Order: sequence, then C-alpha cells, then structure tokens
Amino acid sequence: MGTTAEYNASAGRVVIDEHRGHPGIKATTLDYGQINDEMLAMLDKPNPSYYLLLLGFLMALGLGVLSFAVQVDVGIGFSGISHPIAWGFYITNFVFWIGIGHAGTLISAVFYLTRAPWRTAIYRSAEAMTVFAVFTAGLFPLVHIGRPWLAFWLIPYPNERMLWVNFKSPLLWDVFAVTTYMSVSIMFFLLGLIPDLAILRDEAARRGKKLKALIYAPMALAWRGTNHQWVHYMRGYLIFAACATPLVFSVHSIVSWDFAMSSVPGWHTTIFAPYFVAGAIFSGLSMVLTVLIPMRAVFGLQDYITNHVIQSVAKMIIFTSLIVGYAYATEFFIGYYSGSPFERAIFYYRPFGEMQSWTLLGDNQISFPQIAFWLMVFCNVIAPIPLWRWKIRNNPLAVWIIAALVNVGMWFERFNIIGSSLQHEYDPASWGEYWPTIVETGVTIGSFGFFFTLFTLFAKSLPPMAIMELKEGANPPLKHAEKKDTNE
Amino acid sequence: MSKFTGVWAIFEYLDETTETIEQIRKQGVQPTVITPCPKHEIDHALGEPTSLVPWIALAFGALGCFIGYSFPAWSASDWVLPVSGKPIVAIPPFTIIGFELTILFTTIFTLLGLFLLGFIDSLRFPIPKGAKKYRRFQRDRFGVVVRCDEAKLEEFESIMKKNGAEEVHVEKE
Repeated sequence: MGTTAEYNASAGRVVIDEHRGHPGIKATTLDYGQINDEMLAMLDKPNPSYYLLLLGFLMALGLGVLSFAVQVDVGIGFSGISHPIAWGFYITNFVFWIGIGHAGTLISAVFYLTRAPWRTAIYRSAEAMTVFAVFTAGLFPLVHIGRPWLAFWLIPYPNERMLWVNFKSPLLWDVFAVTTYMSVSIMFFLLGLIPDLAILRDEAARRGKKLKALIYAPMALAWRGTNHQWVHYMRGYLIFAACATPLVFSVHSIVSWDFAMSSVPGWHTTIFAPYFVAGAIFSGLSMVLTVLIPMRAVFGLQDYITNHVIQSVAKMIIFTSLIVGYAYATEFFIGYYSGSPFERAIFYYRPFGEMQSWTLLGDNQISFPQIAFWLMVFCNVIAPIPLWRWKIRNNPLAVWIIAALVNVGMWFERFNIIGSSLQHEYDPASWGEYWPTIVETGVTIGSFGFFFTLFTLFAKSLPPMAIMELKEGANPPLKHAEKKDTNE
Repeated sequence: MSKFTGVWAIFEYLDETTETIEQIRKQGVQPTVITPCPKHEIDHALGEPTSLVPWIALAFGALGCFIGYSFPAWSASDWVLPVSGKPIVAIPPFTIIGFELTILFTTIFTLLGLFLLGFIDSLRFPIPKGAKKYRRFQRDRFGVVVRCDEAKLEEFESIMKKNGAEEVHVEKE
C-alpha cells in the first residue's frame, strides 16, 4: 500500500500515483507526531483574507435576518406566498438544504461501513456541512409558517387544548424525521470530535498554551485514549454508522412524502422517495466539492484531499446524476402513460408553459417554473456529462465548476417540483402565478450566508480532518520494521 | 483516586507495546493501555475485549420502537379524529414514527452508554496522575499501566524495561 505514496524531497511533498488509483493520502507516509503538527497548523491564526471572507458571509446572513425581521413585522403576506401557491421559496430552500445535508452522513456512515479509505480526508468537513445544512434547513419551516413563535405546536405535548398532533400527517413525519436527523448528525459529529479535542487539549498544554488547554479540556470529556474508552467508543461509532445509514435514506424519503402523499398532479407519484434521495446525495456531494476544492487550495491540502478523493466523489456525482436524469424521464413517461389529463398537463406546463401555443417559440410568456425546468435539466443532466472523462475529473477547477452548476440545478429542481404543480392544479379557475418577493430572496441569500458563516468558523476552530482516523490509516511506529529499513 | 500502586511505562513503538502487554497478561494481570488511536494489534494482545454498548443500544432501540408505535396509537385514541373511514390506530403511518424513535433512542443511549461505561471503567481501572499529565499519549506514544501489589512491582518494572520502555514509573500508595 505504502509504495505508491512516497515522499519526494525535491518536490517537497508526497507524490501519489493517481493513475494507479491509490487511495493513500499524505498521512500514510507521516508519523503520528507529524500528523498532529500538520493538522494543528491549520488552526493557526487566520490571515486577513479569512476575515474578509467571513465578513462577506456575515453580510449575507445579515441581509437574511433583516428580510425575516421585515416579514415578521409586516406579516407573511409580504412574501410571494399566496393562494394557490402556498409553498414557495421557503419550502424550496428547506428541501434543498436538507438535501445538502445528506452527503456528510453518507460519507461518514455509509462509506465507513463500506470501508472506503478515501473518506478519511473529507468526512469531518462533510459531517460539519451536514450539521450546518440541517440547521439551515430547520430554520425554513419556522420562517415559512409566518408565526414562528407558535412552532412548538408541532411538538406533541399535553396541552390545555386537549389536542394531539396528527401522526398520520406527512408534515408531522417530517418534523420527526428532520429533528431525528439533526440530533443524530450532531451527536455523530461530536462523537468523532472527542478524541481530536483531547489531542487539541494535550497539544495546547504541551506547547504551554494554558488558556486553550483550559477551553479544550471540558470539551474533550476526560478522554485519555485508554483501551477501555476505545473499545466502547469503537462499538458506539459502529452503531452510530449503522443507525445513520438507513436514516440518510429515510429522511429525504419522508421529505418527498410531504409531496407524494398529496393528490397534486406532478407530486402524487411513487417514484418520489428514491428520486429525492438520489437528488439529495447528488446535491450534497456537489456541495462537498464546491466547498472543499477552494478549501484545499487555501490550506494547501493537495496531499490530503488528493485528486483521487475528488475523482471518487465525482464518480458518485455521475452515478446520482444518472439516477436523477432517469427519474426526470420516468416522470414524463408516467405523465404520458397514466392517461391522466392533469398529469399530462403538468408535464407539458413544466417545460413549455401554458398550453396555448404549438411550438416552443410560440407567443406564450415564460414563467418561473419554465426557467427552473430548463436550468434543472441543463445543470443536473447535461453539465455532469464531462465528468465521464478522466481528464475532466482530474481537473479540480473543472470539477468545481460542474459541482457549482449542480448546486444551482438542484435548487431549481426543488423549485420546479414545488412551484409548477401548485401553480397548475386541477381547476384552471384556481391557477396562479408565483414570483418571489424581496424578503424571500433576502432570506434565501441569508441562508447561504448562515451556512457558509458556520462552515468558515468551523474550518479555523476545529480540526477539519479527523486526526485520529488519519493516524489509524498511517503506518504505526514499529521498532522491528524500522531496524529493517535502516539495514537496507 | 490518587491512591495507586503499580507500574506505568511509556513506549515509542507499537510492537514493543504489544509484546509487553502479552507478557504482563501471562502473569495474570490485565493492563490498561493508552494509545493515540485505536489499533487492532492492541486489541489482539489484550485478548479481544468486548463492550456492553451494543446491548444498551439494542435495549433502548427497542424502547424507542415501542414508544414510536404506542404513543401515536394512544394519542389517536385519546382524541379521535375520524378521516374518511380510515383506521384510527393506523400502523403504516405510525411505522415512520416508530422507525425514527428507534434510531433516536438507539443513538442517544449509545452515546450516553459509552460515556457511562467509560466512566465506570475509569473508576475500576484507575490510571495514575502522572500518566494523566503526560501529554504525548494523544500524540505519538503508547502507555501501559499495571495495577499490582507492592510485591510484584519489580517484576513488572523489569518486563517493561526489558521490552524497551522509554520511561518506567513505579508508584506506591
């Protein structure tokens, strides 16, 4: 294993043979102490550009907070949500961010169980993304309901109204699914962090940084790394991975049932659960690359997040892109084959708009769902095609552009599903048109600000890579082997 | 906690550590080992120790599943809301709540369980203050702690020295 990843003194870095698909990372050639030093160097004082970036994200977040404050002050009527379109940008954002939150758990749990070695370099950051994305998603039902101070009505508790929540409603399933997913993601993230926090505590103490050591000590929860702690920890970690795996697939299935359980044309379809799950993994992995490729360049992590890691994620993107593309086609086929005029109408409306002209270039006005549809098809089905080529997959800039496009496409996919079906339900008398207002746009921008602010803070305050796992993957210090090497 | 009689040593190499563990175990004593990361070699040398965490997970997962089905069933019966002649206590929709609460309870109690078991073990198998204050166990060193009678101190000290320990500390109450 170690022979393909070698330290090249003249290049000053580890050279990994990408052609042979070696999953190795620099850590495999370092000793335990060097891994600590390299990882801790990432937490050094940031340079001014970091603060500038953080300021930009905070400004976006501020715009979101301001927009939400205006909406609370004026009322939910200030948003574009009105009869017949009750779900607009906010629910689109909710579904989009929950989807983004799928990659972290997929990488940390599913790839842990399947023993994919390339996950080590990226799973901590992906897990953090999951937690922050689910935080972001969790805000949107509160923003959407108009009176967020009454959100606790969703929780089943004994009350003076003597009523219980309706457990048969998909919306309540969603409450349970999302809160469970959020809780499990946070616990999984913190569980992985504990040995690393103990490293930070002891390294701070060793280097005479008493204040840092004092801060990290309670966070490390008296972790000493004894065999008793490790045996419980490793069993617990495995159980977490085993529980999180079905949870990844269940959460977006349940989110999809918010739509599929209704009788709205374009929503009422059995394909929705796998279609949403594939879309979630597709968008989540794309967001991982969108964030990690710039991070790798900034921190100089090319020897850890190697091109092989990027290629592996890109292959997953190709796979999920195919599923998503197939789902789009199936939806149209079923729309036609079902014989239901309402289904046929909605699947004509999504790409071509109103049924008043015969051609694409007719006199019909372009509606927002139409724009969303074509962006969705381009970004999710056509844009990932170049990833089939090794040269493109091996070019981080090209992969980053495609991943960013996929993020755009997936947001518009969510909007396309939600907006178009609600605009054109059964009765033409109750059809409507939806355009977002300034507060919805502001809150949407704010949600990106919120997510990236949290991630930027994370990248400099906690180890963005799992130090303990990097050590686990490295060659252990062996006296016998060392003697052999020196003799040679 | 400060009352500790035994020997503890610091090792640089994994193979020396496992060799020491095996020799100590031959004397009928189970040592505590401190490592920077989990290693299978250590587990093999220690005789494949097991954990109660999976049993805790199973028990509380079953409890979560029970609550996930029974609570919606009870609340649906407490305030009956008939919809289109559909069953009041409906199993398929409650399966989703059952599934979610199974996962939630399993994970919460796994986390609590592993901390509780770790805490109990730290009381059952205490490690000396000096070992707690040594800062390189989380970096690149392996530690072996043996609790024993004063009569056996020398024997364990010599085993550790013989196997190439960097430092050996003998502590008496």
